[in-house]
Amino acid sequence: MSRQVTRCARVAYTFVMMNVAAVVGLFSIHRGREVWR
Amino acid sequence: METLFWISALVVAYVYAGYPALLAIWARLAGRPVRRRPSFERRNWPVVSVIIAAHNEGARLPGRIANLLNQSYPGTLEIVVISDGSTDGTAAAVGQFEDAVRYIELPRGGKPLALNAGVAAATGSILVFADARQRFSPDAILYLVSNFDDPDVGGVTGELILDCEHDDPADSTMGDGVGLYWTYEKWLRRHESLIRSTLGATGAIYAMRRELWHPLPARTLLDDVLAPMRAVLRGSRIVFDERARAFDRTSPDGSAEARRKIRTLAGNYQILALEPRLLIPFANPVWWQYLSHKVGRLLVPWTLVCAFIASAAVASEGWFYTAVFGLQLVFYGLAAVGGWIESRERQSPSASGRHDEIPVVLGKEAR
Repeated sequence: MSRQVTRCARVAYTFVMMNVAAVVGLFSIHRGREVWR
Repeated sequence: METLFWISALVVAYVYAGYPALLAIWARLAGRPVRRRPSFERRNWPVVSVIIAAHNEGARLPGRIANLLNQSYPGTLEIVVISDGSTDGTAAAVGQFEDAVRYIELPRGGKPLALNAGVAAATGSILVFADARQRFSPDAILYLVSNFDDPDVGGVTGELILDCEHDDPADSTMGDGVGLYWTYEKWLRRHESLIRSTLGATGAIYAMRRELWHPLPARTLLDDVLAPMRAVLRGSRIVFDERARAFDRTSPDGSAEARRKIRTLAGNYQILALEPRLLIPFANPVWWQYLSHKVGRLLVPWTLVCAFIASAAVASEGWFYTAVFGLQLVFYGLAAVGGWIESRERQSPSASGRHDEIPVVLGKEAR
């Protein structure tokens, strides 16, 4: 797989993951404090 | 279905492209630079308290404290470390710095309560918030404080530079996506700051006037958004100063980044419950920006789903909808490939050799 395609795939994955996180985040507000930054 | 598709597509396009374009024009027409005096003109530098809330960070804190003690800030710098129920010898790690650090030990209660205790103990008129993991550039605090010459400025957020913005970090499988996202996000903050105010701060490096601080509720997820936005609601500006830099590493892999994002986005929902005034146009001076940037990001996942379903339903009604549906399939297929690559790399032995030292030497000049 070319480096360019790999890079696009990673960026697409990150975008989808962030949007999934927004949905999961709505349902997991009560668990948030367990994640220390 | 066509209407649903168009509404959904327009929301996504506005949040990711229309709003940045609007910001660029707005900042050009009505940008408000911060009124700073040159450093050499200043006589009385305010007392600054750097507050670090930490849980089991005994291994990182000595390096972190040394980094703060090496700051070039000409005024008095107080370092306050609050241990939130640490059990890893944090007290001994901090104890080696003797009187240079004020150390407070609390039972485990969470970061917001630790920050509240730190602020209560601090004596500075300017509060700088930092985490144990990142490192500051030597003049970061000097630059942060210089913004407070402007009486309209209530808070300042510095620039967090991730290693993936400069190169492809060997110890993270998320560099490409996170680097691009973070660069884009900082561009938005820079322009929002120019217009009036950023919509929060970067937890790794931000400063506030002490009088604008209000104790955080114990369940707060995003102290670095809630505290600055409360200052904005009181009429202050929170500005972005990219000269004040903190350095960090990218999340090691997709699951770590996903956990971080879930927490951030859960926090964005929570803030709407804690400060509903953010949604009221006349109460929030950056209402449109908040709606476009923060609320928009919460809406986009739902509109993506709607756009996908609606375009699938009307794909047979013309070449345009067929093409749009096909493009979405290609995009999500690419994302699946990206997820597969990430998961494969996460399991490879080279991904487990993550080192902890953060390279402070990375600067703009090194890009």
